[in-house]
Amino acid sequence: MALAIAGVALVATPAAAEDGQAKTEHSVQAETGIESWQFTDNGVGVLLMQISPDQARAFFIGRGFQRDDVEYYASSCVFMTLVKNQTPQPVYYRLGDWRFSRGDGIARPLKLKDEWLREWKKRGVSQSSQIAFEWSQHPVEQMLEPGDWNQGMTTFLVPHGERFDLTVKWKIGDNIHVGTIPEVRCAK
Amino acid sequence: MLEQYRRFVVRNNMLRVFLAAMLLFGSVAAHAADQAVFSPVPGTPLATDFKLLNMNDQQVSLSKLRGKVVLINFWATWCPPCRREMPSLQRLWLQHGGKTDLRIVAVNIGENAETVLDFMGTLEASPTFPIVFDKDSSVLRHWPIKGLPTTFLLDRKGRVVYRAIGGREFDSPESVSVINKLLADDK
Repeated sequence: MALAIAGVALVATPAAAEDGQAKTEHSVQAETGIESWQFTDNGVGVLLMQISPDQARAFFIGRGFQRDDVEYYASSCVFMTLVKNQTPQPVYYRLGDWRFSRGDGIARPLKLKDEWLREWKKRGVSQSSQIAFEWSQHPVEQMLEPGDWNQGMTTFLVPHGERFDLTVKWKIGDNIHVGTIPEVRCAK
Repeated sequence: MLEQYRRFVVRNNMLRVFLAAMLLFGSVAAHAADQAVFSPVPGTPLATDFKLLNMNDQQVSLSKLRGKVVLINFWATWCPPCRREMPSLQRLWLQHGGKTDLRIVAVNIGENAETVLDFMGTLEASPTFPIVFDKDSSVLRHWPIKGLPTTFLLDRKGRVVYRAIGGREFDSPESVSVINKLLADDK
């Protein structure tokens, strides 16, 4: 535990501000260089924290994945993604509505867990490993009641070390909200 | 030995990521404890029954707990918030276990007793409430769950009355207050 706590000395710097109440804060973990982006907008929070290829490898080897399958996953850009609802109302979101853009203006979807699961099935990944994978990934959709939060991994088909802007979308009642987390960078 | 070391490294790598995330996000779990711990479930549907084996290979049947207030926690050892909230479940159990009609059942997803025992060895106080194993996640899929951890509170009639998504401090005054109200109902 001491090891874990020692690893979380963080340096937070404001990176950008959205219009209205939205803001994004960028942080760097002093010991490891792992970067995070914390987006908040009127009680809705989205946190993206880099997962390095080594961390991804370690996690999935520990879940019984074969080396080549682990390498395949670790070649993607992986984030620990946490969404929380601190509003007094339910918040609904679908990862399928989120898009990222790499400066070429093209809005691309995330690679969601259903696509991964189809691939794991074709590659013959064991059932127990598939179960661990499925539940370690961020839910593809979620309805968060006040006080609820969810975390899980998300993947982006972006080369390691490259940057992108992520557009996140959520719904409160009939109102659709959109925010952008700028200059997110994949772990190297 | 190598296997134990590998598990230690994997566990600590992910724990570090999670702890860093917690610090960054202003201690989400603590916030959750301050506000709504549980949300009411619309329509209070009857809970889907299950029969699962516990650590001693004995069958635990949810329907046999009818008449009790039941807290059901779906979790896995590789899920950092699940690990983090487990001590609070044990504290809640120590407050209530055997003294009231509260029952706690932790449903582990996709793992085995050895893995869970490894995890329990890292805790100051090992859980003494039943931990059951949903090895193929077939029970999980019959419940309205999209991510781990997810926790439900059932009333004495076996209806799902409250839900919590994400880690919580289950022995917080807010949580205990909700549970005590259920315990006071329909005696």
